[in-house]
Parts: sequence; structure tokens; C-alpha cells
Amino acid sequence: MALRLEARQLVKRFGARELFRIPEFNLRAGESLYLQGENGVGKTTLMKILAGLDKPCDGSVRLLPARRRWWLSALDQKVIYLHQTPYVFAGSVADNIAYGLRYRGFDQQTIRQRVALGLRWSRLEALAEHDAVTLSGGEKQRMALARAWVLEPQLLLLDEPTANLDVDSVSLVADMVSGMVADGAAVIVSSHQKTALTRLCQRRLHLINGQLREVFSSTRQEQYGH
Amino acid sequence: MDSLITTSIAALELLFSGDAELWTIIGVSFRVSLSAIAIAAIPALLLGFTLAMVQFPGRWALVAICNALMAVPTVVVGLTLYLVLSRSGPLGEWHLLFTQPAMVVGQVLLCFPVLVCMSHSAFQSVDKRAWETARTLGAPWHKALLTLVNEARFALLAALVAGFGRIISEVGCSMMVGGNILGYSRNIPTAIALETSKGEFAQGVALGMVLLLLALLLNFLLASVRGRGQQV
Repeated sequence: MALRLEARQLVKRFGARELFRIPEFNLRAGESLYLQGENGVGKTTLMKILAGLDKPCDGSVRLLPARRRWWLSALDQKVIYLHQTPYVFAGSVADNIAYGLRYRGFDQQTIRQRVALGLRWSRLEALAEHDAVTLSGGEKQRMALARAWVLEPQLLLLDEPTANLDVDSVSLVADMVSGMVADGAAVIVSSHQKTALTRLCQRRLHLINGQLREVFSSTRQEQYGH
Repeated sequence: MDSLITTSIAALELLFSGDAELWTIIGVSFRVSLSAIAIAAIPALLLGFTLAMVQFPGRWALVAICNALMAVPTVVVGLTLYLVLSRSGPLGEWHLLFTQPAMVVGQVLLCFPVLVCMSHSAFQSVDKRAWETARTLGAPWHKALLTLVNEARFALLAALVAGFGRIISEVGCSMMVGGNILGYSRNIPTAIALETSKGEFAQGVALGMVLLLLALLLNFLLASVRGRGQQV
């Protein structure tokens, strides 16, 4: 069964200030969505809530079919959130790409094979054994995408993935993300500016004044919020 | 000056002659302090992690209390524990006073706040994205915690060294709850205090040399681990 994300009556407040109120939001497998909005409107918070890394003050986020097993105390393994500036764990590039695979029950040989595929996919083979903290911004972003790609996510949330990247890196990252969408993953890209990556997206939503509005959809016309 | 040189030579002779009494004292010190740090380390690290990562009412009060406890004199901890463990105290029936377990308990109480405060700082300095990245990549919370421990390993190692340094060299608590019994509860600091009061400086200086050597070794270890970690 293909993945479906449903959010209902989402409200996030910081103290007395209400950041946003979203009555309804849906996303299906294979959809790519560009979430636009100015700095500070709550794009990152919304994406973290959708990824299960943050909790809304009210409302709910459901991922169907449900896979989360509370006794594992793990987030849904098919949803991955990537920070604007990816966090790099201590160790080599290959170690970083292998990180999530260690928690999926794969044997060592499968992990090695998947890491090799990830390195090739992200064009980081030559840097496999390099200390990951020495990578450039673009290389770190590709490494983070490879770290997610090897886990075959069904929903990928990319928070300003092309901020601070040069044109070539943006194009490379856009190619990688479009490959993941072609493989059937749903992708949400947040950005406050249009790039080659945001142009790939089928839907465009605007988070403004605490409301989420669908401003463009190549597949449907819907509007969220008031 | 002559006296200092003569005493130092006598101390070295004592150390290298394999003097049984001296090495028993060193053995007691290490056994007690290593047991204390081993018992305190994991609960203190978990509390430090909780204080750094989890928001709950009274968190800052707890941090402030731990900070204050770091400065409590060892004799005060020793006195409190003495009153608790003495025959008329609430735990008098346990007959722990003047035993090595009592010294271990005292040293756990002494190093616990140091470990909590320093691990709290260590975890606070780790980027919050490390936790979120670990969790979103599928790590259960306890594995994500181990990832954070790895990310903060230098600071956590420094916390362990500082905690160990506090207890291996403390006199007050060990003297009060250990009783300074030769061959059983006499450790390096209590032996130094006793030998010095008797005017027998050679053994005191020899034991002081062991403490100095230990401090140097631990700090070299810390520096070398840090150095290797920073080589890229």
C-alpha cells in the first residue's frame, strides 16, 4: 500500500504566539511539494512536526499505512527529515552513509553494498574514506541525501536543501531528488527562494500569516487554510 | 633543600623497593576510587543527558543544586555520611562505617555532581541536529544517546578524569567514613596526612609522587585522545 500523510487541525504555538494553524494537509506517495514562505514563518517547525521530530500543540499527523511500533521507540523509518545544514557524524563519509543502515537489521555485507551504491549515486566514491567533517557544503548535502537514499524513504523532507550551494551543486542535488521522486518517494522541499529543485515540484504551498495555502498544483486544485 | 632531596630519594627507593605497605595503600586507593567512578558514571551521564535534552519543570533548579554540590567540602560529605552510617544513624544496622564500601559510597557522592554538571555541559554543547539526525535515520532513543556520547566523547572523557581526580585525592570523606585502617581503608591521601603528621615524610612524598604521576598520565591520555580526534 502506497504511503499517505494526513495532518489535521495542526496548531503550533510558542508561548502566546501562534505560529500556524493548518486545518488539513494531505500528501501521497510520489508527490513532490514545494513549501515556500519567508524566514521565520514556521516552515522548519512544520516539517519537523510532519517528520515526527516535533510535536504540535494541537492536532495530529498520521502516516498510512501505520508502521510505527511504540515499543521500538523509533520514528517511522520511512520518513526522513534533512536539515538545512546537514549534521555530520564523527567518522568517514562511508561511516555516515552507513549510519541508518545499522538500525535496519541488515548484515554487514548488505550494509557495505548499500554504502557503495550510495557513494556512487552521490558521486562521493573518491571521498569514501575521508573524514566527513572536511567535506564542502555541497558534498555534505549530497552525503546527507545518500545517507537517506540508502534507506529507501517513502517521504523525504528537505529543509532549505540548496541554501548556500553554488549553481552546479544545486543542479546535482536537484537531479538526486528527482531520481528519488521517480522511484516513488514523496518529497517536501522548503525554500524561501525558487531554484532548480523547487521547479521540479508538482505542488506549491505557501505558508504565510500562519496559514498554509496551495498556490499551484499540476495534479489538482485545492486550498488549505482560510 | 638537602632535606627535600634526601626525602625524595628515600621516597623513590620506597616506591621501587616494592614496599608492601605502600603498594597496599595504592591498591586501596585505586580499588575504591575506580569502583566509585564506575558506579557513578552511567547514572550521572544519563542525568546530565536528561538535564541537557529534556525540558521539565524544575530542571534549572536541579542544575543549580548539582553545581552547588560540586563545591561542598569533602569533610562535610564525610560528616553527613558518618552520621547516617554510625550506629545511632538511620543506616547504622548496615555496619558500613570504617569499611571500603563506605568509602566508595562517599566517593560516589563526591564525584556524582561533578559528572552530572560536566556531562550536562558536554551534551549541551552537542548540536541538537545530531539527536534529530540520529532519530530520523531510524536510531532508537538509546542508540541515539550512544551516538551523542560518541559525539561528545572528549568532553565526557574530561568529565570522567575530573571526577576521578576529585575522589582519588580527597582526604576528608575517606578519613571520616574509612577510618584510615592500615591494610584495609588507608588510601593515598589519608596515608599522606597521617605520615606527615608523624614526621615520616618519605612515604608521604612517595604517595604524592604516585598521585602526581597519575594526574600526568590521565591528562596525557586525554590530550592524546583529543589530538587523535582532531587529526583530519
